[in-house]
Amino acid sequence: MKKMFLIIIMLVMVFSLSAKDKIVIDGSTTVGPIAKAFAEYFMSINKDVNVTVSESGSGNGAKSLVNSTCNIAAMSRFMKDKEFKASVANGVMPVAHVIALDGLPIIVHPSNPVKNLSVKQIRDIYMGNITNWKAVGGPDMKIVTISRDTNSGTYETFHKLVMKKQKIGKKCEYVGSNGAVRARVQSTNAAIGYAGLGFVDNTVKALKVNGIYPSKKTVSLGTYPIARPLYMFTNTYPKMGSNLYRFITLHLSKNGQEIVKGIGFVPVTNYKKTRR
Amino acid sequence: MDINNRKVLNKSVTGFGYFSIFLLALSLLIILLPIIINGLGAFFFKGTVEFRRVQYEKFNRGNNEDILAEINKTNVHKNYIYKKMHTFMDKIDEEEIEDSYKYEKNVNELYKLIKDLIGPPLDEDRPVLIREQYGETRWDKAEEKLDEILYKREWDYTNKDKIGRQVKTLRLNDFKGTEIEDIFRYIETNIEAIMLPEFTFYYNFLFDKSYDAHFFGGIWPEFLGTFYLALGAMIFAVPMGIIAAIYLAEYSKEGKILSILRTFISTLSGVPSIVFGLFGLAFFINTMKVSDSKSVLAGALTLALLILPTVIRSSEEAILAVPDTYREASLALGTTKLKTIIKVILPAALPGILTGVIISLGRAAGETAPIIFTAAVSVGSPLSFGEIFNQPSPALSWNIYNLVTEHEAVNEIRHVQYGMVFSLVLLVLSLNLVAVILRARITKKLRG
Repeated sequence: MKKMFLIIIMLVMVFSLSAKDKIVIDGSTTVGPIAKAFAEYFMSINKDVNVTVSESGSGNGAKSLVNSTCNIAAMSRFMKDKEFKASVANGVMPVAHVIALDGLPIIVHPSNPVKNLSVKQIRDIYMGNITNWKAVGGPDMKIVTISRDTNSGTYETFHKLVMKKQKIGKKCEYVGSNGAVRARVQSTNAAIGYAGLGFVDNTVKALKVNGIYPSKKTVSLGTYPIARPLYMFTNTYPKMGSNLYRFITLHLSKNGQEIVKGIGFVPVTNYKKTRR
Repeated sequence: MDINNRKVLNKSVTGFGYFSIFLLALSLLIILLPIIINGLGAFFFKGTVEFRRVQYEKFNRGNNEDILAEINKTNVHKNYIYKKMHTFMDKIDEEEIEDSYKYEKNVNELYKLIKDLIGPPLDEDRPVLIREQYGETRWDKAEEKLDEILYKREWDYTNKDKIGRQVKTLRLNDFKGTEIEDIFRYIETNIEAIMLPEFTFYYNFLFDKSYDAHFFGGIWPEFLGTFYLALGAMIFAVPMGIIAAIYLAEYSKEGKILSILRTFISTLSGVPSIVFGLFGLAFFINTMKVSDSKSVLAGALTLALLILPTVIRSSEEAILAVPDTYREASLALGTTKLKTIIKVILPAALPGILTGVIISLGRAAGETAPIIFTAAVSVGSPLSFGEIFNQPSPALSWNIYNLVTEHEAVNEIRHVQYGMVFSLVLLVLSLNLVAVILRARITKKLRG
């Protein structure tokens, strides 16, 4: 009786070992929504593939690719030279695929009357030179600055394009994801933060930067000053026709672009959907 | 001491005892009640026609004719609304209306809200994103959306020195005098006929896979992932833990080495769980390469390490609590030490061992930090048994956190989050309940 039981268990194990193919995505929390929606769409047309997405930040995505523990590293910044060197040393040749464009809206609580800030004002706020909203035309409130953690690609972009590589002040609060920035700004009247385009909803207010409002148009035209491409990195270019190849070229298809746009990011091509 | 004083003292101690138990019960109630009430909302709610459409199209549930009849009934209203909207929007595009640019932004906003509420027009091409294919599936959400359609929330910044005030204005005012003026009244009066709310018990919330990052469907991949992880951790930790406990209690000699060993075990149980997580990543995945990516296996191994000290300590205590007379009697009958342990001591210690095991099972199911880097992902399909060896999986504990911090539209799917919390609490509670019952039964059996 006991032997029978064991044999049955063994049989079940052997049969169930015929597992699905998998695509593992790790990395940026900004690219996360796109990756998740792509994964969902891809799995709905390829039932034999399991696509998994984890959102642990661009830096961790790069590390996973270097250690070849993921197939795709989703990143909201380009790879650093250190990461390149490490991956080449590990025999991993990173190839970049730009899957969408993203602006970095500066967000405040909707009750904040301030509508426009210049890049220099934002820099001064984050450096700690401006500490009160009064100095930039708002009410008399102490500014609470919220930033992403230094592992984040969004932080790198902000650090490069807004801070011009100057140090963020000591009083800044660092949080671990785009959603957390939004949640923090939602609940704090005097807060200022930044997050990807797809994360801005009507619970926060996006400011004009240098007089330009972050929108799909201004981002793709390059007039909005804080914009960047979103990447997916693979180890060499995937084999044509493979599942990975079909996944990584999804953003070029019409449906892929519709997904990117539907989530709130900017497709790389000038995709437009007619209303009817 | 005076007898009266003693009585008063006794009474006050009992009183304090009752009070603290009352406080405990109260805090448990305060913590659990919202979880239960909100969590049940994921299972019991008023579902709209859109909910039944999702169920039919994605999960093949329900009767085709019934669904079609319902859709036809609501379509009368939908078509009326969309026809009006479309003619108006066409006129704006063609600039047939005076100052049409004034309406453009407002009408697009309104159009999107209407689409979110009642679903897109059915004669159009289907959107690719699933969340754009359906309207509101829950009546409570639909009512919120309706409110958003009827009233506009704007911020009044007239007082420059103060923060803005939110003002609620009728959205109707934006469209005074236009042909879509009456659409607001129409939606408001016909909302029930458009959405057809019906009381629903969605028990499949637990057993459905999720669609479009938890916008639709249930939490089966997460539930299954948690189940695999906890069970896997048990499979590794329990045999090792019990054997170690037997060694510590029966074979080892009291001395310096043993006390050092015990200190190590206690220290291990005090190590923060995130440290185990990082260790799991560095050791199991990057060094040992048990799988070529995060996997349930790596997560289960990490969790096993985390609960190992608890299992060892509780098993050791249970074995030590077996009276020496048992051992002496068994050995006096001429059996070996091994047989004594297997046939006499372990059965007698079983209730205690089991309690420790199931408490740590609950811990393994609820831990988040060890699986962040080793097993958990935010999206993935439910795994079959063969896939757990090299594929990662979502898990309840991690996905609760993930939804709050990283989901792009978490406000739309709060009920899913509450549902997850409720399911996890229920899972851990029922595991503990099983432990209590099992222990009671075994103790009874042992007493004969």
